[in-house]
Amino acid sequence: MIIELREFTRVEGNGKAEIVIEDNEVKDVRLKIVEGPRFFELLTLGRHYYDVPDLEARICAICYLSHSVASVLGIERAFGVEVPEEIALLRELGLVGELIESHTLHLYLLVAPDVFGYPDAIRMATKHGELVKEAITIKAFGNRIRELIGGREIHGINVKPGGFGRYPTVEELERVEKESEALLRLAKRAVRLFASLEPYGAQAKHFVATDGYLWGEKIISDEEGAFDYTERIEERSLVYSFAKQSLYKGETFFVGSLARLLLKSEMLTPEAKRLFEEHREKLATGYVSYNNLAQAIELVYALEKANEIAKTLLDRGIEGENVPVEPKEGEGIGYVEAPRGVLIHHYRTDSDGKIAYSNIITPTALNHAMMEVSLLEEARKLYGEVDEQAMIHCLEETVRAFDPCISCSVHLVKL
Amino acid sequence: MTEKLKLGVFELTDCGGCALNLLFLYEKLFDLLEFYEIEEFHMATSLSGGGHYDVALVTGTVSTRRDLDLLKEARNRSEYLIALGTCATHGSVQGSVELPIKEKLKAVYGDEGNPMHALDPKPVVEYVAVDFALPGCPYNKREAFQALIDIAKGIEPVKKDYPVCIECKLNEYECVLVKKGLPCLGPITLGGCNAACIRSGLGCIGCRGPLPGEVNPASEYEILKSKGYDDEYIVRKFKTFARWEP
Ligand code: SF4
Ligand code: SF4
Repeated sequence: MIIELREFTRVEGNGKAEIVIEDNEVKDVRLKIVEGPRFFELLTLGRHYYDVPDLEARICAICYLSHSVASVLGIERAFGVEVPEEIALLRELGLVGELIESHTLHLYLLVAPDVFGYPDAIRMATKHGELVKEAITIKAFGNRIRELIGGREIHGINVKPGGFGRYPTVEELERVEKESEALLRLAKRAVRLFASLEPYGAQAKHFVATDGYLWGEKIISDEEGAFDYTERIEERSLVYSFAKQSLYKGETFFVGSLARLLLKSEMLTPEAKRLFEEHREKLATGYVSYNNLAQAIELVYALEKANEIAKTLLDRGIEGENVPVEPKEGEGIGYVEAPRGVLIHHYRTDSDGKIAYSNIITPTALNHAMMEVSLLEEARKLYGEVDEQAMIHCLEETVRAFDPCISCSVHLVKL
Repeated sequence: MTEKLKLGVFELTDCGGCALNLLFLYEKLFDLLEFYEIEEFHMATSLSGGGHYDVALVTGTVSTRRDLDLLKEARNRSEYLIALGTCATHGSVQGSVELPIKEKLKAVYGDEGNPMHALDPKPVVEYVAVDFALPGCPYNKREAFQALIDIAKGIEPVKKDYPVCIECKLNEYECVLVKKGLPCLGPITLGGCNAACIRSGLGCIGCRGPLPGEVNPASEYEILKSKGYDDEYIVRKFKTFARWEP
């Protein structure tokens, strides 16, 4: 017998699952990503490097800036271009804004309705209007940063190899500094809310993250130091899903907020670090549902970090100079922490600066196998214990804890 | 207040941006809810109506059989259907990968055939009649808001009919094509974005698709050539969002 979960709601993109029951036991779970493939690597093949980050941004709207930055990093590394601190800080500010926008969307508008027993945030607003209003305020702030750095709320083209089209003004940075401080109090409330929930889902055994907090030169795991994804991560295709699954040394692993906190807590800002220490024991159990608590702590991190970066830039002043980019034959990998976890853009370029090889692996694809295992464990616990509807509801919550971004996951190609 | 209109939001294969953009209306979303009841919007709600919709918004391209079934269902069940965003109106970026689907699948997934029924990506408008088409990757959210309010009030929403260049001039931005020689598709692209990319000092990449009517890609082609861009570069740029033929 097969129990079909209808398509997931309150997630980004289209996916569903099947639970296979044999002899009255849960035999298997198949996580089916039904969103059509979009072939982004093929799209960029043969194209001039200058246009590529803008196209790659279209992979995902929730985290377009992570894609632009990962793409720019991959291209710059292929050409051997290094950017000064100012440009690096501004990119980081953009990623921080994206973290704020994305985590707020997920925690308040997609997950909180489960916590309060509503089908969505709009209906939740009738009783919990204050919370929804808070969410809107924080989210809009994250988006303003994305607009400032990326050029638009969604799919801006301001982030370029070698710098930016337009640099922010002093007034704009002062506004970021002021608003981030004011919003910090709200984010701390979210931590309290998500810390109070009981864990569910599987316990992750391995964690992978980039070696910097929001981007890196390499990736790291709980077991070893820096390495390139090609050394340890393997992808496989499935007949029942448009997304591939990835394994780390043959085993499932987890990327995202929880992985970042557990692997890189020493890089956190002061208040976020304090909150992490307060909840460290819980988080260290590795339950995937604690990813939501980790996201709430990261919201505090992101607001503190936005403030810190704005201050630093205001102190040193903005020069607004791009560095020259000379195309050449090369190879480069951009590693970024998208809100949902490690994002990899890998390119080879020819001497004209055209893309000769391209591989992109997104966090949802990296988490795909872990999501499936989580559903399997959860289904085994629940089957026969609660009625089918209740089981399905819990399974959907488990999927949501990952904050999956299904559109991102379905265009993988190795050429 | 009279009864609210029933609204359905349907997402085919896309980046999620055109659905997300509705949530980026922030407080204005609640103004819309004065007129509309959201019956189906799977990114935002666990409810699914399955009934009749007064207005259906469809985003994304038809890239699988599932997409096609969903689109037909949305069309059959709705009074007024809006193709929302350049994916739905022109195919957007995924429509520009020119290989046939079989070869694309093979490059990605190996020799499994096509068990999930992927199709060559096509815009919504190629499969069903739509009542209104609002391009943009993503569309301008104020424009979408206005269109929905107009429909609720029984007014046919207005279509824009001027290029990005006009908004550039109104904002007094320096012309990046003439002054900096950057490749800018502003002259042939439908305005409505308030020249967002030129504000960044960069060229328009054509995300809102072609200006309907007397658009002249041939002259744009000549201008770009005179600025030193090669044929292949220009052709690919033209094809990216809306498959212009020079
Ligand atoms: S038109 Fe652009 S923003 Fe809208 S869904 Fe398609 S890719 Fe995303
Ligand atoms: S300037 Fe061009 S590319 Fe930029 S938002 Fe407007 S139409 Fe789209």
